[in-house]
Amino acid sequence: MSLLAGHRVLVTGGSRGIGRATALACAAAGAAVAFNYSRDEDDDEARATLAALQETGARVHATQADVADADAVAAMFAGVREALGGPPDVLVNNAAISHDGLLMMLPDAAWQRVLDVDLTGAARCCRAALRGMIAGRWGRIVNVASPAAFFGKEGASAYAAAKGGLVALTKSLAREVARYRITVNAVSPGFVQTRLISELDQTQRQALERQIPLGRFAEPDEVATVIVFLASPAASYLTGTTVHVDGGLTML
Amino acid sequence: MDRAAVLAEVQELLVTGLRLDRAPADIADDSPIFGEGLGLDSIDALELVVLVEDRFRVSIPDEEVGKRAFASVGSLVDFIVAERAQQ
Repeated sequence: MSLLAGHRVLVTGGSRGIGRATALACAAAGAAVAFNYSRDEDDDEARATLAALQETGARVHATQADVADADAVAAMFAGVREALGGPPDVLVNNAAISHDGLLMMLPDAAWQRVLDVDLTGAARCCRAALRGMIAGRWGRIVNVASPAAFFGKEGASAYAAAKGGLVALTKSLAREVARYRITVNAVSPGFVQTRLISELDQTQRQALERQIPLGRFAEPDEVATVIVFLASPAASYLTGTTVHVDGGLTML
Repeated sequence: MDRAAVLAEVQELLVTGLRLDRAPADIADDSPIFGEGLGLDSIDALELVVLVEDRFRVSIPDEEVGKRAFASVGSLVDFIVAERAQQ
């Protein structure tokens, strides 16, 4: 498969889950792939993901950087340019955190941290990537949103607000850069088989599964394959939209 | 690079880079870059930022600098000359 042959991809938050699956799927589709991760405790996971990427034979790169830190993002883009032989022409904004807690009791700092990573971090990475995309007059940005952006989510108001903002950013930026053959889209993954889901007990699992028309959780690969498509030249007439990869949960 | 040389390059860059339908020498020094001047809009400015940064090795990091640099063809030339003198 060579849907992304000749392209350079940066996936933020790429050490595990959807980010990892996306990085691997992009490499398998022929792209040079870089990813970042933020926390020291994710070092081992990131190393394992990098090793898996290297096995594909693609040009790959991993770096530790917090997207909430402007200097770190600048350094990350410089490193990616160097490692992949040019600036990324595909950006997947996947890095995100959440903070469990009801809004009335949420400390300002917790709210701010979630917005800094999930929304401002994504916007910052877009800004850093756009110069290279405009110079090449081609680009793909895929933002990973969430059903929380559309339904809200109790106990995760900052996360939901950030993801809602990310959807609005997707639409606005799509309008701004369409002229340069740069498309900006979002995917909204529903319940995905991740560490979080695996910690639920049987009753909780079944309660969630009953809400999903397809009756099961997604594998990360099922989200990654949609991201690869949106990142590819094949998705040339899609922009500003959200693809709900959620087993029919949302149907928007 | 003296001012006249920068002006000539900017005129050429505007015409070829942004595909303007006019001769480089017809772009006046005091011509506004956006709006009625050259018929460019603010989204064209994004490409102009990239072209100018690449050609002249200067940095136009944000709208604050951009507004000053892009007030007119002449102000863009002055900006480039001043930035390069500092390097």
